[in-house]
Amino acid sequence: MKRTNKAFTLVEILVVCGVSALFLAIAISVFSNFRQGYSHSESGAILLQDAALFLAQLRSDMNNAVIDPDLPAEQSQNQFNTEPGQLRFKIYDNHEGKILPVVYTISSRDLTRRVGAGSARHLIRGNVASISWQSEIESFAGKASGTIRLGLKLSVNLATEKEKNRHFVVSAKVFPSRLNRQMNSR
Amino acid sequence: MSERSGLSLVEIMVSMGILSLILVPVFFTFSSGNRNMMISENEFRAHTAALEIIEQLISLPFKHIPVGIFNSDAITGKTDDDLGIVPFNVSENPDFKPEVKISEIKKNGRLRFKKIEVKIDYPAAKTDKRERKFVLKTLVANEENK
Repeated sequence: MKRTNKAFTLVEILVVCGVSALFLAIAISVFSNFRQGYSHSESGAILLQDAALFLAQLRSDMNNAVIDPDLPAEQSQNQFNTEPGQLRFKIYDNHEGKILPVVYTISSRDLTRRVGAGSARHLIRGNVASISWQSEIESFAGKASGTIRLGLKLSVNLATEKEKNRHFVVSAKVFPSRLNRQMNSR
Repeated sequence: MSERSGLSLVEIMVSMGILSLILVPVFFTFSSGNRNMMISENEFRAHTAALEIIEQLISLPFKHIPVGIFNSDAITGKTDDDLGIVPFNVSENPDFKPEVKISEIKKNGRLRFKKIEVKIDYPAAKTDKRERKFVLKTLVANEENK
């Protein structure tokens, strides 16, 4: 019997299907692997950006920090009012040309910053797992007796809402150098 | 043999080979994005640590800023005999090796500035132990005596 029809046989089609299924399975697993890794590093990048923004803003405020004029002399070491969820200190505001309070507040998963009577602006939205701040003071002895150094110890823990177990943790200290020099020259 | 014209196995193998040759670099670009992300995270940490050291030093009155070269052992937790405290400290990060060099800059016999140089050696990423360097320098002016 002479075959005249030019077509694929069942075996050929089955083999092609099998090979392409194998190929697709590999491609899909590689792709989904990549997607997982991508969303992992994407949330990492978002958290890094949030942490960098917060630290840069706080550093800039720390540079402008001044001695609180309303604080009684015996409490002069309490320039930073730290409570869980709130940080308050005085800065010299260049735009208004006067001393204003700056307040950082954590509410639910947000971090906001407010200067003077202005409105609270978001620094971090939805990604705060926990942030703690603690005022620290070092008193020098010996040759430098009488000198103090005020600092703020921070520990920042951020996580995105989408991937709550992906944490970005950074602990750092910030020092208000101008305020310190002001206090030491009194 | 047969007059049917189709692709031979060899042709298919060759085309698949070429295809994978094209796809491999594409996937490498994806994974290098992930690696760059980890590098920038460590760079951020090195930057934070370097700023921390500089801020601690410039918080001191000019005359009490120590002069000399301090390696990572001297920085973490060693008390300065003259000052009675640790002149600087870094929030713990065992992989980072900071080094601080502080020198005096004199002009016409008067001490005008102190130059602070902070160098931090850090691993590029958790999975990549290649060392990278981060350097930050600043000058502190002598405002105490004219």
